Amino acid sequence: MAEQVLLLNRQTDRPLSFDEYRKSGGYEALMATLGSRTPAEVRQIVLDSGLRGRGGAGFPTGRKWSFIGKEHPRYLVPNTDEMEPGTFKDRVLVNVNPHLVLEGIILSAYAISAAKGIFFIRPSYEMDAELIERELAVAREARLLGNNILGSDFSFDLLVHRSAGRYICGEATAQVNAIMGRRPHPNKEVHMTDEGLWGKPTIVNNVETLACVPHILQKGPEWFKALARSHGGAGTKLYCVSGRVTRPGCYELPIGTPLCEIIAEAGGLSPGSELKAFLPGGASTSFMPKKFLEVEMDFEPLKATGNRLGTGAIIVFDQNTCLVGATLNLINYFARESCGFCTPCREGLPFIRDLLRRLENGEGKEEFIPMLKQMAHHMSKAYCAFAPGAASPLLGLLNHFEAEIQEHISQRQCPFKSLE
Amino acid sequence: MPTLIIDHQKISVPEGTKVIEAAEKLGIMIPRFCYHPALGSLGACRMCAVKFLEGPVKGVEMSCMTDAADGMVVSTTDPEAVEFRRYVIEWLMLNHPHDCPVCDEGGQCLLQDETVSGGHGLRRYQGLKRTYEDQYLGEFVQHEMNRCIHCWRCRRFYQDFAGYLDYGAMQNGNRMYFGRFEPGPLESPFAGNIIDLCPTGVLTDKPARYQGRRWDFQRGPALCLHCSLGCNLVGNARYRQMIRMEGRFNDAVNGYFICDRGRFGFAYANHPDRPRKARVGEKEVSLAEALQTAAQRLAQISDQYGSGAVAGWGSPRSSLETLGALQWLSRRQGWAEPRFFPHPSLERQVKVAISRLETGIAVSLRDLEKSDFILVAGADPVNEAPMLALALRQAWRRGATVAVIDPRPVFLPFEFEYLPVSPGVIDLCLDLLSKAALSADAAEGRLDPEAAGFYRLLTDEYPENPVSQDRLAALGRKLAECRNPVIVCNTDIVRDTTPGRAADHVRLLKAAKGRAGLFYLLPGPNAFGAAMLSAPEAVDLVEAIENGSVKALLIVENDPFRSYPDRERLTRALDNLELLVVLDYLPSATVARAQVFLPTATVFEKEFSHYVNQEGRLQQTAPLHQSGTPISQVGGGTHPPRTFLEFIPGGEPRPAAEILTALADALTEGEGDPAEGDLWGWLSRQHEAFHRLAALPEVEPDAGVRLLPEEGAVGAFSPEPWTKPGEPPTGQLELLLVDQTFGTEELAGYSAYIQKVEEEPHLLLHADLAADLGLAAGDLVALHLPGGEVTVRLKTALRMAPLVAILPRHRRLDWQKVYGWPTWIAPDRIKKL
Repeated sequence: MAEQVLLLNRQTDRPLSFDEYRKSGGYEALMATLGSRTPAEVRQIVLDSGLRGRGGAGFPTGRKWSFIGKEHPRYLVPNTDEMEPGTFKDRVLVNVNPHLVLEGIILSAYAISAAKGIFFIRPSYEMDAELIERELAVAREARLLGNNILGSDFSFDLLVHRSAGRYICGEATAQVNAIMGRRPHPNKEVHMTDEGLWGKPTIVNNVETLACVPHILQKGPEWFKALARSHGGAGTKLYCVSGRVTRPGCYELPIGTPLCEIIAEAGGLSPGSELKAFLPGGASTSFMPKKFLEVEMDFEPLKATGNRLGTGAIIVFDQNTCLVGATLNLINYFARESCGFCTPCREGLPFIRDLLRRLENGEGKEEFIPMLKQMAHHMSKAYCAFAPGAASPLLGLLNHFEAEIQEHISQRQCPFKSLE
Repeated sequence: MPTLIIDHQKISVPEGTKVIEAAEKLGIMIPRFCYHPALGSLGACRMCAVKFLEGPVKGVEMSCMTDAADGMVVSTTDPEAVEFRRYVIEWLMLNHPHDCPVCDEGGQCLLQDETVSGGHGLRRYQGLKRTYEDQYLGEFVQHEMNRCIHCWRCRRFYQDFAGYLDYGAMQNGNRMYFGRFEPGPLESPFAGNIIDLCPTGVLTDKPARYQGRRWDFQRGPALCLHCSLGCNLVGNARYRQMIRMEGRFNDAVNGYFICDRGRFGFAYANHPDRPRKARVGEKEVSLAEALQTAAQRLAQISDQYGSGAVAGWGSPRSSLETLGALQWLSRRQGWAEPRFFPHPSLERQVKVAISRLETGIAVSLRDLEKSDFILVAGADPVNEAPMLALALRQAWRRGATVAVIDPRPVFLPFEFEYLPVSPGVIDLCLDLLSKAALSADAAEGRLDPEAAGFYRLLTDEYPENPVSQDRLAALGRKLAECRNPVIVCNTDIVRDTTPGRAADHVRLLKAAKGRAGLFYLLPGPNAFGAAMLSAPEAVDLVEAIENGSVKALLIVENDPFRSYPDRERLTRALDNLELLVVLDYLPSATVARAQVFLPTATVFEKEFSHYVNQEGRLQQTAPLHQSGTPISQVGGGTHPPRTFLEFIPGGEPRPAAEILTALADALTEGEGDPAEGDLWGWLSRQHEAFHRLAALPEVEPDAGVRLLPEEGAVGAFSPEPWTKPGEPPTGQLELLLVDQTFGTEELAGYSAYIQKVEEEPHLLLHADLAADLGLAAGDLVALHLPGGEVTVRLKTALRMAPLVAILPRHRRLDWQKVYGWPTWIAPDRIKKL
């Protein structure tokens, strides 16, 4: 088993308690940092570590922090919205080691001098929200949160905000709007680091990203970089493996581990299954055929293939799965989750869904293919990254599996349904 | 000034200009739905995509979201951009019901235009269309949500621009819905603008529904007469009646928008009881005959009692032409000087106000939006001049502080400082604010001697209430910091001294800061013009009738039964007259009493006319149609009788100025110099402002012409120290007669559409006072006014001055029972019924 960092001491049936976490060196990074390192130093260490955002975009965390505006109060928003289909790593992480998450949040808040944190969590994670709230009280009791943390002049507190739901609330600017009680629309007009929550400097980070921070501070950026398998990568990654594998689940592996090894970690394909395609990073990434089995699961190697690491949620499809149907399923999800703000997303996705549905039902026509291609490409001209993400699996389908679409048209039915 | 090339044409534009705006300057209309010049860029519809070939941005991008930059080469016709835009319009049309034949927007629909121009001719989407349930949104706006293309304009106007929250976006994805949380009337008095803004037929004009296509209408520029701001309108008439109003862009006045009173108040012109026939006594006669009779009887009185026994009485709702003609006629015949205001105290206030306005101090509504500190002294914008509230909100959105000093529970659609004080204390508050704000300037000798002299007269005696003391001090600090303050003042509920005092303070602030603005509200769309024309001393005509010096009255477009404060006295006076001649277009109580009645045309009919708004802006309005009795289709589908007339039924009314000129002719048959009949020539000899007008080019600038003296022409301060008023008489309440958005304004009161949304009249008292009197909101109370009793329901508020009783001059309330201003009433004069 690879070195466990974030999921260290993972218990099968319960989260690690505060005491257990403390015993294994928990909160020592915080104690060592407060009073001995300046926030700027913390930011520099994180920058040096090469840590990149784990929420999907992969933006270097230290750089994001370096943009933080001058005004106060500043806000940190740990993002546990995790609405990306196939992704459940944040939930596992919070349930394995809530205090690692909290320590990461506190340290990151220190790095940007935030006074308040808002833990944004999706509504279906109610148990997890309650867990965090319970552990927050424990941390507060231990003077790790609140005024003058551990006697330092740093004050910070965290509250849990339950999302009202919707995928788009995971987008940082939309999330900030949601917290303020506005419609959760993305906003490309403002820099969150200057004018985020209530017009004040705000950083939104995925909780997996934040959970890396205590280890980086304790063991140093070089150690963190060395964890990676890929050249230029840094740290470990929580990969969620689902689909046709023997042991679906969340696995912590060095970032850049080749896909085939991750699948092997999950027990290989299910008996009788043969790999046909996979999504490397959740529903908003592109289908990849078997020839990419060796791809290193890190930001840059996937970018080189024209795809994205996304959240690192691998969904495995076998020879018996209809990819038109799978794409329809995903587009259906995205069409439903669109915030409705801009036209391509609001109207284009349902149009795509309609065409896919017709293909799947055997009503497909040859002319649908160029229309699907054009529309999938035009999604890049939508307002935010939602629509291009939604179009990704469709582009994968069109690029690598057009023959399967053709079969739907020529057979006037879904070829997989006829197999059943 | 970035320079860029759009479709092979070079243009330089100011920094911050969007590419879509730069293209517009070149005459290239890039398709758009969500972008609107007043609402700005949004980036939602994606219709304005263009291709950036060179420069800092590359590829297909939205022209509304991209700032013009040096080196940009933009193509609006690049195949990639055109193909994308074709898809956008196809997407927008997926669910559109295509019900253009039964849609009121058809023919004036941006969606139609852009569907055609976008090249989307064939439907490829074969799925089911999304449908919604429509909502009842009140009497003005019809909701048909299936047509929606989700451009966001309505919500952005309603919530962001106008500041009301009861209408907005709900749901997500392609279920997104624009409407209210539950059906109900829209709360905003600016709601009608979403009709103009909607690029398709989701939000249409309810009263005008199914009344015609755009090309059926006689359309033209019109002016709003429902307050003194002079907002610009586009009027639509059909079949001899007014059908609908739209906002007309005027960069200096209303921008793109108008209020609902202005949009739906026009229907007085179609009033079913509108008097369209001349009358002598009870008998309908031809206009010529009535004119003859009027001339004869007027001449008789003139002969019998001397020409001074005839007097004209106009009102500020008439055009300059009408008022000028009345004055011209009066002076020509040697009659008493005509009056244009309901009573002398109002006339005096308006005259003081306009005498203090000059170029450099007077600000327009648009200028107001750029101010950073606005002090509203004795005005209630939403109720008195709604578009002022919208302008104040725009200033607030840009960061301005807005403070309101007024006894009423003023509501504005944004956060503002509110100081509820009695009218008698407004002057004092102004003094205290300036005193606090300019103490440093005064101490360091930065004020010129005149200003310093005025500053020294200011009191620093704070009122007893320590809360207002702190708040005044805090506001004074903000006033000290601001750079471009404006004082807004109405001439309605304030003391006679307040308009002048406000002007003095503006001059003082200008002396200290280099910039300051003055913005008055006046009683009526042409109050400025009326005051300009009025004789210097204000005379009470009713008094003149009572003392027998006036025997004949020529009332022109004026209903003293509505506006004169003491109706009983007015009635007695009119009974004493030997002759009452009335010219009007409203079915008013005054018209009903006329011995000779001459029907006049409304602002929409027959002749060009001019009005001067409250900032001294002269604006022209064009006739839209030849009026007459509206054509109505009757019968069960049979063809109407084919009789052809040589005249328009009900088409007798003439513009009042024309009737007055005809009356002059009739009075002096054959005599008189025809050149004297040139009204504008005569006016230019009477008033310097009109003289300057004569030199103007034929076509007036769109924004109108300011008739104000040059900067520095208006005399200095009118310095008098503030004297503590001998009021209130202990324990008594000041009665305030006020306006409300719907229900008190004269013309709109005759509009069937406005009548539907009028709030019931209420007496408003402070909740604590009401409790002390054993009264509760909702009680029916009898209010004993000096001239009699008024029965009215009670409303209470906590956020208002404590010692006032507020009564709207509601058309359904007999409030005309007071002797003058201020009126004090003892609390025990309010009794529960």
